[in-house]
Amino acid sequence: MFSYIVRKLLLAIPLLIGVITLIFGLIELSPGDATDRFFTPETPPEVRELIEQKWGLDKPAGHRYLLMIGNLVRGDFGRSIFQERPVFDIIFEALPNTILLSLVSLLIIQFVGITLGTIQAMRQYTPSDAGISVVSLFFYSMPRFWLALMLQLIFALMWPILPSSGMTDAVMHDYMTPFQQFLDYCKHLILPGCALGIASAAGIARYMRSSLLEVIRQDYIRTARAKGLSETTITVKHGMRNALLPIITILGLQLPFLFSGSVLVETIFAWPGMGRLIVEAIFTQDTPVIIGCFFVMTLLVVAGNLIADILYALVDPRIRYS
Amino acid sequence: MSERKRLSPLLPVAGAVLAGLAIFSCSGGEQAGPANTPASADGPRDTLVVGFQSDADLLMSVVYQSASDSHVMSGIFADTYKATMDCQLDYKPYIAKSWEFSEDGTQISMKLQEGFQWADGTPLTAHDMAFTYELIRDPLVASPRLTYTEYMTEDSPVVVGDYELLWKFTRAYDQITMTAHTGLPPVPKHKLEGADRATLRGNPLVREPLASGPFKIEQWLPNEKIVLVPNDNYQGPDEFKPSLNRVIFKILPEYATRLVELENGSTDVAEAILVADADRIRKDHPDITMHRRGWRSMDYVTWNQLEHADYKAKKANVAEGEQVDWNDVKRHPIFGDRAVRRALAKAVSVDKLMADLLTSETGEVYAKRSVSTITPALCNTHNNDIKPMPFDVDTAKAELAAAGWVDTDGDGIRDKGGVDLSWKLMTNAGNARRAKGAIIMQAQFKDIGAKVEIETVESNTFFERLRKKDYESALSGWSAGLFVDMSTMWKSGDAQEFNFPSYANPQVDELIDAALAEPDPAKNALMWKEIQGIIYEDQPYLFLYWMDEIVGVHGRFDNAKVDVLSPFHELWTWSVDPNQVKYAR
Repeated sequence: MFSYIVRKLLLAIPLLIGVITLIFGLIELSPGDATDRFFTPETPPEVRELIEQKWGLDKPAGHRYLLMIGNLVRGDFGRSIFQERPVFDIIFEALPNTILLSLVSLLIIQFVGITLGTIQAMRQYTPSDAGISVVSLFFYSMPRFWLALMLQLIFALMWPILPSSGMTDAVMHDYMTPFQQFLDYCKHLILPGCALGIASAAGIARYMRSSLLEVIRQDYIRTARAKGLSETTITVKHGMRNALLPIITILGLQLPFLFSGSVLVETIFAWPGMGRLIVEAIFTQDTPVIIGCFFVMTLLVVAGNLIADILYALVDPRIRYS
Repeated sequence: MSERKRLSPLLPVAGAVLAGLAIFSCSGGEQAGPANTPASADGPRDTLVVGFQSDADLLMSVVYQSASDSHVMSGIFADTYKATMDCQLDYKPYIAKSWEFSEDGTQISMKLQEGFQWADGTPLTAHDMAFTYELIRDPLVASPRLTYTEYMTEDSPVVVGDYELLWKFTRAYDQITMTAHTGLPPVPKHKLEGADRATLRGNPLVREPLASGPFKIEQWLPNEKIVLVPNDNYQGPDEFKPSLNRVIFKILPEYATRLVELENGSTDVAEAILVADADRIRKDHPDITMHRRGWRSMDYVTWNQLEHADYKAKKANVAEGEQVDWNDVKRHPIFGDRAVRRALAKAVSVDKLMADLLTSETGEVYAKRSVSTITPALCNTHNNDIKPMPFDVDTAKAELAAAGWVDTDGDGIRDKGGVDLSWKLMTNAGNARRAKGAIIMQAQFKDIGAKVEIETVESNTFFERLRKKDYESALSGWSAGLFVDMSTMWKSGDAQEFNFPSYANPQVDELIDAALAEPDPAKNALMWKEIQGIIYEDQPYLFLYWMDEIVGVHGRFDNAKVDVLSPFHELWTWSVDPNQVKYAR
């Protein structure tokens, strides 16, 4: 297992270089550059030239690429062109917020998806099964940003029981008791977490349903029934453990989708995470921030897949990595 | 054996969800404050929550770039002057107690109020102001305000005493602009004197500014909120002392979210509200007042008078930094002809555009015809006598025919010398108003025998192509400046990067130089008016409309100032009747 983990981490290096090279190339190919923000009638052309020289934007792309790779190897993400703050600081202000949102979404995905899939499998071909299928398909087909806007409209405006944006209550949070502050965080996580997670939960429900149906037809399940065990014990204790194996595999694959989905969801809910950071950096062509964000996100995806692989091995004793 | 009925597994789940929602609905919340909220000595004051489009970046006058920076800075820094707007920019004393122009108009003697200080107790003096302009001049700083010093002498301003300055200029020009150029909020010299100027934007003071104004920053959570509280060390005039406990700029990049937050009471102010939404909010929320901000932005169609492929080829052949001589570039077969541009202007009903795009259900129009790039808010300088082009399809057709554009091949599109009256109209993605406007104009041009293809491009690409003149026509917009300087847009020459239509009129060039050099506001206003008249006749743009921006403000705020200078102007004057206070902290 250890050598497997080390090998996976080493393979991440060419992956990171590939991703950064691709992103750098895309930025170079896209029109304009970071100095466009200084292109206003009030800002003289010489100021733009000074800024270009300062950030090396007047140098050839190859030169800048090699400089960037050299800095990254030394752990230097550089500075944001607009804020002139270290990119490391900017990213690590936003990263915990995205991780929090992603984890909550993952919980929602797993909890809702597994629950619904289990119910569907236990009640196969009943109206509940059909109803859940229809609802699952509806949410699965829905674009995340549209779902986010609808959730906001329904639960923050028409029936205002949940906050429409942010991580905390902008006005009162600092005056709440610790327990109230905790609830405030939880409250603010519900809508963005659901917007990010519900569509994927619908997909998980389908996987869980088919996986559990396959498992509960196995001979050992029939044996368990014959022994007089309750359906709940059979399903939860014996069936689910095997039925969850494909779900765990999918877990690792969901991370990239969560991060990409967070770009729109964070913007709509004004969640101060990396998704929003990337959007703003792309619009302003703040190259160091863009590269830094993709670097970190790639690392997170690699880590997530690795965790999924380890979990898979833990759950299924037949799996042994060498 | 009969099967026992099982409790639906959904029931406990549903129960948990409902219980959770009940807990959340009752906990904390925007409406209720903590029970032990202390009132201030003068009675309860309120908190203003502003829905902000984007976070601030650089809170220092020498390097700030965005509108967000400017809004926050106006609360935390004392300005040299207090700016007001009444047909022209007018300046009242603030840090500057008095100022006087010399007879020849090349010097300004300025006396400062004593008593202003930085939040650390250090007095704010003339030395801070002089140091500020020293930073602006330094190329290492790369200050966007460099043009402020364009006509100042190298040693300007000269510190005559701790509270006295002498501003020296190499020449006199418009006095309002000269005053504005001396009005940048000062930076604290005692904090920045030894700072590395090349990385000034990264200086800690940019993110943790030392306040000198009525407010100071209590908390700045990046991309979340900026919280301002009254500056205890503020020693300026009482009229600037805040009447609020806090001002919170809540960062909400998405328009729909800003609207939801205004409507559900999470925020008290939202700017740039669309006309249709303003109608709905007025109906559904009578406690929210819709303010008109004034004519701050306009839409227009620019006609590239140069044949863009030929210009691109010529540009590729000149050395880096050299300019293309427009006389060497082929004229665009359609837009290079003044008579055709004037005919096209008569083919578009701007009134219809305004009715369809900027008029409410109740018939309120949030636009007015544009005849100039000078905002009508500057009514002393704006030429109010220019009569907009009439919508007259028959005359448009006749003028096109007179210019040689007739449908020789019967395909419904006019042509001349084998060239169809057909062009691409470029506009930027993500602007629904311009997208609809382009479609309306496309249909109107079709009526006069012109074929228009709409090309929607991503915003960065759009602006790059405008700059490089890689377009035929483009539907774009301007945010109006409040300093009158038409040179960047209308002086001829490739060096004028904002002269998108490649407009060249030697008479206009001369008049612009003369107007810029004329110190007397009344005389130079006449010159600007003449320039506007000539430009309008030449129709380098199809001038469309100026838009009245709508800002929604919760009605409990008295003295809410929303004007062309700022959507939340002079925050220190905003107040709430003690009986209507919502947040007593």
